[in-house]
Amino acid sequence: MKRKIERFNPFVYMIRSLFGMFIIVMISLISLILLSYFLSATPKRTIYYFFSGPFSSLYAFGNMINDAIPLIIGGLGVSLAFRAGNMNIGGEGQVYTGALIATIVAIALEGFGEIGVVLSIFLAMAASGLLAGFSGYLKAKWNTNELITTFLVSNAMILIVNYLISGPFVDPLTNLISTRQIPEVAELTLVLPPSNLNTSLVTALAAVFIIHALMYRSKTGFELRMYGNNNKFAMYAGISHTYYQIMPMFVSGAMYGLSGAMAIFGTYHAVIKEFSVGLGWNALAVALIARYRPFAVIPAALFFAYIDSGAHSAMLYSDVTFELSSIVQATVFFLVSSVTLQRLGLGKRRV
Amino acid sequence: MSVLLSLLTSAITIMTPLLLAATGGLFTELSGMLNIALEGLMLVGAFASIVGTYYSQSIVIGILIGIMSSMILASIMASITLYLKANVFITGLATNLFASGITVVLSFHLFNNKGVIAFDKMPPIPRLFEGLADKIPIVGHIFFGHTFFTYLSIILLIVASLLIYNTPFGFRLRAAGLYKKSLTTIGLSTKKYRFIAFLLSAVYASIAGAMLSVNLGAFVPNITSGKGWIALVVIFLGQKKPLGLLIASFIFGFSEAFSNYAQGLWDIPSEFILALPYVFTLVAIILFSIYDFNKKRVE
Repeated sequence: MKRKIERFNPFVYMIRSLFGMFIIVMISLISLILLSYFLSATPKRTIYYFFSGPFSSLYAFGNMINDAIPLIIGGLGVSLAFRAGNMNIGGEGQVYTGALIATIVAIALEGFGEIGVVLSIFLAMAASGLLAGFSGYLKAKWNTNELITTFLVSNAMILIVNYLISGPFVDPLTNLISTRQIPEVAELTLVLPPSNLNTSLVTALAAVFIIHALMYRSKTGFELRMYGNNNKFAMYAGISHTYYQIMPMFVSGAMYGLSGAMAIFGTYHAVIKEFSVGLGWNALAVALIARYRPFAVIPAALFFAYIDSGAHSAMLYSDVTFELSSIVQATVFFLVSSVTLQRLGLGKRRV
Repeated sequence: MSVLLSLLTSAITIMTPLLLAATGGLFTELSGMLNIALEGLMLVGAFASIVGTYYSQSIVIGILIGIMSSMILASIMASITLYLKANVFITGLATNLFASGITVVLSFHLFNNKGVIAFDKMPPIPRLFEGLADKIPIVGHIFFGHTFFTYLSIILLIVASLLIYNTPFGFRLRAAGLYKKSLTTIGLSTKKYRFIAFLLSAVYASIAGAMLSVNLGAFVPNITSGKGWIALVVIFLGQKKPLGLLIASFIFGFSEAFSNYAQGLWDIPSEFILALPYVFTLVAIILFSIYDFNKKRVE
């Protein structure tokens, strides 16, 4: 049998493989338009402000990018863990814990200047890393399902952090349930005033390069991906089972901790009760949409931030509620892992 | 002694929604799909049931509306997962995200309120065997006089158990989970059985949700607060067997009842008390996995 051999063109392949993602995004946006007609008395106004809101001012635009930063950092960690075949769904608790540790250490080490700030970030990463690493350890030692343990540890931690910020570390001077403000030396510089966009953007971009290098340009990354693809094969090849159960989990937890610390130092300047609700889940979603590729995490996070920002502006200028964004995000989420849709542009696969 | 009795009584109330949701999850679990959407299916069931009850003034119609809504969501999830070949874990997360969004959006749309919606003029919830509860000393109040949801959960557990172990349907369902190709080789569709499993889990989860909201007479955003996840833990802890589910959900109900009791007894911060069920479950899961690990090693 003769078969025409096409020359592999990476550019055409990329366009074709993006076609499915384009369809998915379109479906979710169409569902938004339909929902606006159903829920809103002024659907055109709602849709207009939803789509144009994030670009309507420097303030909205900067805030949108700023919202994407913790999602990028958290999503990178999840990508690494997933690539090693580990699921870390405890992001919510890890972000929250990291934020608290960073804040109290930064306040305690105020006298040490920049060294104190750097130390507080490292301690936040270590604390969140240990939370996730604990689940990795259990998996390595007794094959305990890490999906369940990360979730349980995270939920318990959220409650404990809630206690700590409303009890021992509460700031008596505000009406909010929150800790004291971090020292001025720890506050990151604003990049695009009046918006909240700050220099944590640099951290996020640097993290993308570092995680990419770790995953694709290092021996560790090669072994990690091998372990994730087929752990039995990797073990026959002499790759440490224990190490690749614990290390990726630790790193993913540490990245969540970093994203919590960056959100505090850059934007919030104090741990306010439940400030990070949804951040862990959204970072997980971002990693899934990016299909665990570090560079793809950036547009995925921006897309999520855009939906959130659009919903905010639609809420301000029209009659819908902010939770509309989670419906649109859920639609993307529903379809994003569909193999059938992803391969739409690629044609039938010959096996 | 009376403390223990009241603990047991409230343990049974707390375990009921967990048992219902876990039984629903058992169908999908046995068909070989990890159904983390229980939480979302419960939430939609809770919302639709109480809104349905409020408008129809009938608990039965309300629950049926809840079941319908939950099944619609489950069928969307199942068709995307099975026919568009999506990852079940991700579509499950999507279902949860969608459920928490749609309930708030709809409650804002219908009642112009995003917070707690308290419904007045709700039909009363029938309590069963209240006469027996007073007649039988000591244990009477533990087993009798609960709302009908509690007895329904036991009946539905028995139904599920009969369905799974004593019908061709249940046999095929388990076959789909054990070895996918076993069904294909005799000309049956694995997808069909998995789809039905999703629908069944939606029915159970939505009744569990209905119990939360209708019992309270109000809808609170995120009223399920992790109960769907705990139901999943109950399935694993109960070794995927109906009797195991009963025991595991009781352990969970008791630990929560105990932490509620302990809160009044000692001066412990309420957050620690709320964290106790998670810690209990964590310890249980770890001990169970150590036991399982050692057993496998001996074999």
